[in-house]
Amino acid sequence: MRPLRLAPLLLTLSAAPALADENQDLNLIPPSVTEPAPPASAAPTPTQDLRQRIYLENALILNDRRGVLVPAPPPPAPDWQQRLFLDARKEWALSDQASVTYSGRLNLQADDVEPTPTHHNIRNDFREGYVSWQPLSSTYLDLGRINLKNGVAAGFNPTDFFKTRTVVEPLSIDPAVLREDRLGTFMLEGQQLVEHGAVTLAYAPKLYDPSRIYTQTSLPSFNPMLDRTNAHDRLLLKGSVDIAEGVNPEFLVYHEGNRTQFGTNITEGVGHSTVLYAEWAGGNRASLVADAFRYGVDTGTLPPSAPAVLPFDPHSYFQNDLTAGLSYTTPNKIVLNLEYQFHQAGFSPQDWRNWFTTGQAHANTPAITETLWYIRSYAVDQQEPINTHAIFARADWQDAFIPDLELTAFIRVDLHDGSSVAQATADYYLSNAWTVGAVAAVDPGGRRTDFGSLPQAASLILKLARYF
Amino acid sequence: MTRMTPFVAALVLALTLPIAAAEAQTAQQIIAAADKVRNPDAPFRVTNKLAEFVHGALHDTDEIVVYAKVDPATGQFRDLVRYVEPPRDAGKMALLDGTVLWFYDPASKASVRISPQQRLIGQAAIGDVLTVNLAVDYTGTLIGAETIEDSTRKSRECWHLDMKAANDHATYNRVEYWFEKGTYYPIKGKFYSDSGRLLKILYYGKFAPALGGIRPTEAIIIDAVDSALVTRIDFGDYQYQQIPETWFQRDYLPRLRIE
Repeated sequence: MRPLRLAPLLLTLSAAPALADENQDLNLIPPSVTEPAPPASAAPTPTQDLRQRIYLENALILNDRRGVLVPAPPPPAPDWQQRLFLDARKEWALSDQASVTYSGRLNLQADDVEPTPTHHNIRNDFREGYVSWQPLSSTYLDLGRINLKNGVAAGFNPTDFFKTRTVVEPLSIDPAVLREDRLGTFMLEGQQLVEHGAVTLAYAPKLYDPSRIYTQTSLPSFNPMLDRTNAHDRLLLKGSVDIAEGVNPEFLVYHEGNRTQFGTNITEGVGHSTVLYAEWAGGNRASLVADAFRYGVDTGTLPPSAPAVLPFDPHSYFQNDLTAGLSYTTPNKIVLNLEYQFHQAGFSPQDWRNWFTTGQAHANTPAITETLWYIRSYAVDQQEPINTHAIFARADWQDAFIPDLELTAFIRVDLHDGSSVAQATADYYLSNAWTVGAVAAVDPGGRRTDFGSLPQAASLILKLARYF
Repeated sequence: MTRMTPFVAALVLALTLPIAAAEAQTAQQIIAAADKVRNPDAPFRVTNKLAEFVHGALHDTDEIVVYAKVDPATGQFRDLVRYVEPPRDAGKMALLDGTVLWFYDPASKASVRISPQQRLIGQAAIGDVLTVNLAVDYTGTLIGAETIEDSTRKSRECWHLDMKAANDHATYNRVEYWFEKGTYYPIKGKFYSDSGRLLKILYYGKFAPALGGIRPTEAIIIDAVDSALVTRIDFGDYQYQQIPETWFQRDYLPRLRIE
């Protein structure tokens, strides 16, 4: 290794014996930093902590309502609601190759709409409960209620086929929270990992007939509500493969009832700060209005004559959902997401005109206004955007202004009418165990707009959480 | 000043040219030797305990377990990270393969692609907590031999290297390192932004036996932008770990278990 010996020999001739400037950097290290760390035994072992996340959270919710052109059916949203819940996710190892997972939330709640105490004051959301088995080194089988999530976008995931009817009384309308607090689907899932790829097959059987859309007052206390997630036979096949460095698209085929949808999603990094992403799904289906009427009549919520309330196209044809966007991390570590969302089956400009014109003309006819609002509640229940074109932007800033303060904000703008829904969240981590936070949401827009026509103008949530 | 004779000038030139050519190779060899000090020669896992200090007061603690294995195609490590502490983050996971970084949250059961600049834990950037072969990502120039003090104020005779990013995988555009002569222990590092601004100062310390070598078990990171922020990382519980190739993909993240 001649070069290794020769160069040091020559360089030693010019070596400085000590560099005072370099050693000045040591003055930036406080003495407390170099004090001995606590003994390892004082810390919990990884296996104790990693298999669970349990926290208790208290939230006080205040709502501000406003007058609307098309009166919403009862019950009204409460002016205030108090919620205390124990959220738990835990995994137990049965052997080296098998485990059991539970995820759920036990809610205690009271508000100014429902009398207290009743069975409405307590509810358990059984999100997940499944057994996992690894028969071969790269083969996995899961059976039970599983939250199978697909997609790479931040605000709207066209390929997240199992999202429908899974959200129960969310605390926040942030898409990131909606993905977390939702019910899984009872299914058998098999996954095979190979080098640079994976194949997943999931089958969810029909266990119940489709049920009515739940309202706040009709939610059961202790019921897994499998009717929400297993009302159809559903089959998903998806595969992912590395086709180049950093390019790992996912391809999906999903079948439910008599509909088949195809989807794909892909991401690409640009430099150290930017990630581009796109997600598409398409298949034969009817419009949102047609689907809502069909569902309402099938479940007995709407009378057979209800579809006459609004004109709509009953036919199915190939329709597309698309999200395309990027995330960018600023030098001071703010993560920004900006994406365009397209939902072809959503309300067209004519659908909006029909909805408002009919609603205003029959504002005093509950049978009609309830039918109109049913369409919108169906979209919410399905987690399907009601608008066709939207822009979504989100910002997440850790250690904002001061350490341990995290600020999150998002806005979703309906490009048809410019109305929007916006929410800002501030979480302050008092310690590793305690978090205090506030969430403020507004729905700005004119009275004849998507978000401006909602009866809820704004809301505020104050929350305190204790992690165990 | 006396003028240099043609003979002396030719002699200096003859000596200097091969030395200059040798320096580039030597710098890379020093970096590679230092990589062997920091990184075991077989797939392994290590537990990183991070303690964040603000104005000298302990502010936050985090703990992660890192699984690392060299990609034979690139010579660079790929890393899987599982969060242990704090409780609100326990069970979260991250995968770094080249510049591809996936983050998985078991609460939402969603894998999200994030950029290498996105903070994953405390003040530390990805390159600070993950295992990296510097010789793959940086091209070094030997500045000279210098004696500097380590984090315990002990004097160390070091090679001082200036290193530029050699590919898109490098976390920083430019870094400086001081490696101890003879042992190749990494003693100090400085990390710069694309604009040349000093971002962080790093001190390695507490060298101890682990997985067949003497390795640093402590890193102290000073935030050069806000010097009130100092992070100490304790590396411990080194273990050799069989890591199949199938682990390094986003679909594996939900399956990662700590044995």
